[in-house]
Amino acid sequence: MSRDDRQKLLELRDLRTYFDVEGRTAKAVDGVSFDIYTNEVFGLVGESGSGKSVTSLSIMRLIPNPPGRIESGEIRFRGQNLLDLSFAEMRKIRGNDISMIFQEPMTALNPVFTIGYQLREGIRYHSKCSKAEAEDRATEMLDLVGIPDPRRRLKDYPHQFSGGMRQRAMIAMALSMEPGLLIADEPTTALDVTIQAQILELMLKVREKTGDASILLITHDLAVVAETCDRVAVMYGGKIQEISEVKALFKTPLHPYTQGLLSSLPRPDKQKKTRLDTIPGIVPSIMSMPPGCKFAARCPIAEPRCERDEPELREITPGRFCRCHLVDGKGGGRAW
Amino acid sequence: MVNDSADFGVDTLLDVRNVKIHYPIHGGVFLRRIGEVKAVDGVSFTVKPGETLGLVGESGCGKTTMGKGVIRLVDVTDGEILFRRKNGDVVDLVGLERQAMRPVRAEIQMIFQDPYSSLNPRWSVGDIIAEPLSVHSPDMKRAERDEQVAWLLEKVGLTGEQADRYPHEFSGGQRQRVGIARALATRPRMVIADEPVSALDVSIQAQVVNLMQDLQEEFGLTYLFIAHDLSIVEHISHRIAVMYLGNIVEIGPARTLYEEPVHPYTRALLSAVPLPDPSLERPERMVLKGEVPSPLAKPSGCPFRTRCPLAEPSCAEEMPVLQAVAMDHEVACPIVLRKG
Ligand SMILES: Nc1ncnc2c1ncn2[C@@H]1O[C@H](COP(=O)(O)OP(=O)(O)O)[C@@H](O)[C@H]1O
Ligand SMILES: Nc1ncnc2c1ncn2[C@@H]1O[C@H](COP(=O)(O)OP(=O)(O)O)[C@@H](O)[C@H]1O
Ligand SMILES: [Mg+2]
Ligand SMILES: [Mg+2]
Repeated sequence: MSRDDRQKLLELRDLRTYFDVEGRTAKAVDGVSFDIYTNEVFGLVGESGSGKSVTSLSIMRLIPNPPGRIESGEIRFRGQNLLDLSFAEMRKIRGNDISMIFQEPMTALNPVFTIGYQLREGIRYHSKCSKAEAEDRATEMLDLVGIPDPRRRLKDYPHQFSGGMRQRAMIAMALSMEPGLLIADEPTTALDVTIQAQILELMLKVREKTGDASILLITHDLAVVAETCDRVAVMYGGKIQEISEVKALFKTPLHPYTQGLLSSLPRPDKQKKTRLDTIPGIVPSIMSMPPGCKFAARCPIAEPRCERDEPELREITPGRFCRCHLVDGKGGGRAW
Repeated sequence: MVNDSADFGVDTLLDVRNVKIHYPIHGGVFLRRIGEVKAVDGVSFTVKPGETLGLVGESGCGKTTMGKGVIRLVDVTDGEILFRRKNGDVVDLVGLERQAMRPVRAEIQMIFQDPYSSLNPRWSVGDIIAEPLSVHSPDMKRAERDEQVAWLLEKVGLTGEQADRYPHEFSGGQRQRVGIARALATRPRMVIADEPVSALDVSIQAQVVNLMQDLQEEFGLTYLFIAHDLSIVEHISHRIAVMYLGNIVEIGPARTLYEEPVHPYTRALLSAVPLPDPSLERPERMVLKGEVPSPLAKPSGCPFRTRCPLAEPSCAEEMPVLQAVAMDHEVACPIVLRKG
């Protein structure tokens, strides 16, 4: 299928989400646009503070107000702008069509109810069925996410589960609604690599068995993107800097920031480098973002205009977008 | 083995011998001792001067406890920790009284994972770095101390003028640099680095790793580098020890361990590490069953047997010991050794 035949599930258009902090405006998400197609795993990668979580919470309309507000933009889900919906309508979307898993499952699980109760409630909210049917379905879901002795474990409270098991339970809960879109915000960041491998594999497997949700996978880990995503957007300073198919991004990263990130990773599978390449400097504070390119101060090839004029996110080659004055698709903008 | 410095090789700086660190668990109405967590349960390894030994393993396996044991931030239950001092004396850190430990402390320093909570927010960065100097060199003059602080700040890539600033004015990476400067203030021979880059952003991790390598070269430092990120550990370490539930299951040269891991746990751990290259054809991932058991309910015999793809009934009987499989490479698994 060519790109244009595929259906767009989610379209973000120029989303701006701002926070009022000490009388000033923090532009946490500052003009973000990307599309997620049906049936794809889309990665959103960036360092801490780049605006990934605020993007996902905006999609869910869960931005705390005050201090936050969605200033402008569109969030189209199956063609409908979620920003036009009432709270009740939005609650319905969250129960049925878009579900979310978080880095710390305890924030989403209610500590005073059993895992079984929470799973059953979700299932019954989604599909009108009897209590017994919901119980069977809940058992099935826990089994599917690899929790041993699932019928008995339904009676446990969240604190009786380990971190890895809670994350599994949350995946069970999120996918039992057979959502069209699953947003996973750093779902494995707090876990060991062995458990991370289990959870990522599981998320992809369970998704296949429950109706092929598209996934928006948010992470700071490029290696996780490489192993799980179809396409990826790289975020920095509240803006998308690059969008690409995953294979192309890792083969020829276009944006100098992406290039720098990739070359600063240790590669134990390759010939050993004695020193890692580094991106100089630090991530700029959201309260004092430069007017031009957000990466200019750290970019080895920045020109005077980069500090002055914010570049547009341009389509460099079909399907590859990059926000850099110097990248031209013919080798321009090579920084590392 | 006996506590005999005669068999303490000249090329050894630290020799950890069969160390056990058990935390008591108190419970019940009278908070009686009702059990113990065997966080470190018979660990032995050596570190050469100027070398980096990486210590890896899943969370809860005892890495931090082992590191803290070396500088006696926790009580060692059993075993010996022999350390060669600057003056050539070999001391057993386990037996040392508090008074006698103090000068040794100056020679072994620790840096911590969390650059946010490990620095006192009410102290200026200069005072934070100078603190170990005032403890270990109380006679040092104020001017000299300030000079030292400025020099240390520059060594870690900051500037002398930043001594008057407070931790909240620094980014995570800069705070970790401050932590490193503080650790270097007493000119230690050995630095125990407990997950020093885990809390940092990708673009900052590489900066701190490079800094640590530069300082190692300049000052001849020896590192015990604790981390759960195997890619970084492989990059910075000369040798790596893999821990599981309080024991070392494999130890050897970093490259060998990465390319030819022998212990089934090491193999599983490595196969779980994601690599930033989607074009790689990777062999089928060895996904481990379940999670690390609680150290309170440590399985009998080999602690890894409950998750091990090679486990046999005999594994429940005896705790495997480390055996040499090659020069400088040891593995604690009789099954792989038998099967070859
Ligand atoms: N509730 C809030 N109040 C003020 N600022 C916030 C709030 N939530 C997020 N921010 C700011 O928005 C920016 C982006 O945050 P976030 O989306 O959480 O980043 P990340 O990419 O790490 O997920 C950060 O600078 C953060 O401080
Ligand atoms: N002060 C303590 N009291 C009781 N148990 C502890 C204490 N500190 C750590 N533990 C336990 O000891 C084990 C090893 O912990 P730790 O050394 O922190 O592991 P790691 O650094 O590898 O994650 C864990 O089971 C942990 O819960
Ligand atoms: Mg986040
Ligand atoms: Mg630890």
